[in-house]
Amino acid sequence: MPLFSVTNVSKAYSGVPALIDASLELEAGEVHALMGENGAGKSTLIKILAGVVEPDSCAVTLDRRRVRLDSPQNAFEHGLRFIHQELNVVPQLSVAENMFLGQRYPTRFGAFVDWKAINAQATAALERLRISGIKPGRKMARLSTGDQMLVRIAGTLVADPSRPASIFVMDEPTAALSSEESERLFAVIGELRAAGCAVLYVSHRMDEVMRISDRVTIMRDGRTVKTMAIAATDRREIIQLMTGRDVGEAFPPRRGPIEDSVALDVRSLASEHVSGISFSLRKGEILGVAGLANAGQSELMRAIIGADAQRSHHVALDGSLLPGLSPGAAWRRGFAYVPRERRKEGLVLSRSVTDNVTLPHLAETSLLSVFLDRRRERAVAGDLGRQVRLKAARLSQLCRHLSGGNQQKVVFARAMAGRPAILLLDEPTRGVDVGARFDIYTLMRELSEAGTSILMSSSDLPELLGLCDRILIMRDGRQLTIEPAAGLSQAELLHLFHD
Amino acid sequence: MRGKDLTRTLRRYGTLIGFLAVVLFFWASIPDTFMTARNWLNISQQMSMLAVVAFTMTIVMTMGDFDLSVGSMASLAGIVAAILFSQGYSVTAGLAAALAIGIAGGLLNGFLVSIVGILPFVATLGTLTIFSGFAFLVSGGRTIFGRDIPPSFSGFARGGIDLNLFGELPVMLPYMTIAALVVFLAVWLLLEQTAFGRRLYAIGGNREAARLAGVPVRSLRLTAFALTGFGAAIGGLMYASRVASANPTQGSGLMLNAIAAVFLGMTMSEEGEPRVHATLVGVLILGVLDNGLTQLAVDSYVREILVGSIIVAAVAFSSFGRGNG
Repeated sequence: MPLFSVTNVSKAYSGVPALIDASLELEAGEVHALMGENGAGKSTLIKILAGVVEPDSCAVTLDRRRVRLDSPQNAFEHGLRFIHQELNVVPQLSVAENMFLGQRYPTRFGAFVDWKAINAQATAALERLRISGIKPGRKMARLSTGDQMLVRIAGTLVADPSRPASIFVMDEPTAALSSEESERLFAVIGELRAAGCAVLYVSHRMDEVMRISDRVTIMRDGRTVKTMAIAATDRREIIQLMTGRDVGEAFPPRRGPIEDSVALDVRSLASEHVSGISFSLRKGEILGVAGLANAGQSELMRAIIGADAQRSHHVALDGSLLPGLSPGAAWRRGFAYVPRERRKEGLVLSRSVTDNVTLPHLAETSLLSVFLDRRRERAVAGDLGRQVRLKAARLSQLCRHLSGGNQQKVVFARAMAGRPAILLLDEPTRGVDVGARFDIYTLMRELSEAGTSILMSSSDLPELLGLCDRILIMRDGRQLTIEPAAGLSQAELLHLFHD
Repeated sequence: MRGKDLTRTLRRYGTLIGFLAVVLFFWASIPDTFMTARNWLNISQQMSMLAVVAFTMTIVMTMGDFDLSVGSMASLAGIVAAILFSQGYSVTAGLAAALAIGIAGGLLNGFLVSIVGILPFVATLGTLTIFSGFAFLVSGGRTIFGRDIPPSFSGFARGGIDLNLFGELPVMLPYMTIAALVVFLAVWLLLEQTAFGRRLYAIGGNREAARLAGVPVRSLRLTAFALTGFGAAIGGLMYASRVASANPTQGSGLMLNAIAAVFLGMTMSEEGEPRVHATLVGVLILGVLDNGLTQLAVDSYVREILVGSIIVAAVAFSSFGRGNG
């Protein structure tokens, strides 16, 4: 008898089915991966488990008892805990205070907060998961994203002992983590499993899933297609089940040599966050930007397009020196930029797909650069949408209502418009499913072969090694070295980050 | 599901339904005069100044900003024009100077908000006081009226195009109403049909994303505030023309009503975006309430309480279930 099971889950949004008779079983002490393309229904299923979305039909059994998960409080009381990629932390508060968020603080004399008890319980929870190096009194803001996530997980353990946590649902927890932070998370997941908890692990990263999970359930088009033991399957089968087609997992290789002409020449670029950045990017070349978490990868790109003020700059495009850029000037001169956080920095969620795609290109799509030409905008957006295989019901659909992967495709489509000379991609496949991911890889290769030079950062090492011609390594906002990617292994790359 | 769709429809169209209910109520209560062409043209004239200020206020509010200084800018514009008239300058010169002051004041707001980086609330609260102070300073605190105001200026508010549709009573389409319609069309074109407007909405939706997508946020905010200042000056001139005088406080009621009208309009959009045609409905609601309650001889203090409550109720109604509920 499994610890937890949901069966017969169906849900339709205004007539469009999101889940069709889905089911899922979790055993105590297992890490259970949930995989599927964006829009396959994973998020809806999780929201139903969390009591946030009301299903049209659903049967939940926990410890052989029928239960109802009709509110977040209810899910909490039944021992379900949710860790999302977007962390809800209060940076101004301490680690211990964040762990107690939403719970009653231990008190003395019934009125005064018992700080000693809070810190002691926080320490105990951290120790239970063998998390070292995080002091309970530390300000949350001073922790890295990865450590903040570990604190959130530990926080679920300090809960009221009458409602112990038994099921952890982690939604793409490593999306924002560096590889070593991910390692710490995996160790903590191991501790949870050893303690008899079930972990439902949602991720697009095949390597992680193969490594840390015991079983995997595949979803496609709102149905749970199959549940299998990881030991009894392989990547190919998983991808085939997810996509319903045979996607070669290989990175599309470069055909033919790179041209010799330099497209972008950057000399000792500096901003508030980065300094000493010097590289030249050849026409059609893909240069990776890599390093530990927050080593300045995003800030490097922001400095190039002038999103952060440039302190010293010598940026030449096709041999002519550019004045200090602003993002607007950068787009006009043929740069295109996909920022790291699509919801915060990429999209205007309250606006349609079309509006978001054409936003940087309004001068070109409008009559006399002034009057909106909606038909032309729709044509541009529709064309680009097809190229990136966007799955949106209508081009007039608000971006708020798209899945994460499709939102990323909108940002990508926008950057592809008009074949940019220089394409800056900051974690372009973050939170993007396998099928969409390979669509993006293929597009990147096509663009690069058509002469677009690409600068991409990624925390996914196979992706960097598979796509880039050279890799620029950063640490603490400074450029360490640039290495050719050919012949480099993941271990060597990691080694370069540290030393 | 059905229930949810119903609440959504109600939320979205609640303001419009409420407006129709108010109209029906007045129609039933004042059967003889309310639902007549003459009364509606009268309403349109009464609210034309507010309409102009509210329409141009919508421009800054699409970016998520707002401008508290429009009322005192309206007063200042009226005073500047009247002073020039009293010194023998032509009507054209007076109007030009007043409108230039409007643009300059708007640019000052825009400068403070977008270049210096002060919150719009604080910046325009400051300039509200500054503009008001200037209006008192240049007028010496007096009302300028009578022979100082040229008849061609004050005649504008009284004039109109003759509409002898019904042949019974003389009915005319006031120039004031036409002016408001022209401003409405201009703002509608600007916000709904140009790249400029699209960029303003992008800034309102996500300023950082807009900036990173190459939208020149600073210069657009500057321009938008200048346009709002320009609109406030037009509203002020219309007011001065209507009362054939100018005093340093006559525009002060416009600001709150203009913001209220935009908010009422925002309740009609699912994403809570200000749209100028929705602002028009907001203005109509305020105008009809004012007109109807006056005809019913409701005490003016009670009227204020009623109007305020209706605004709060409309906004509260439209935000039901929109939060984390």
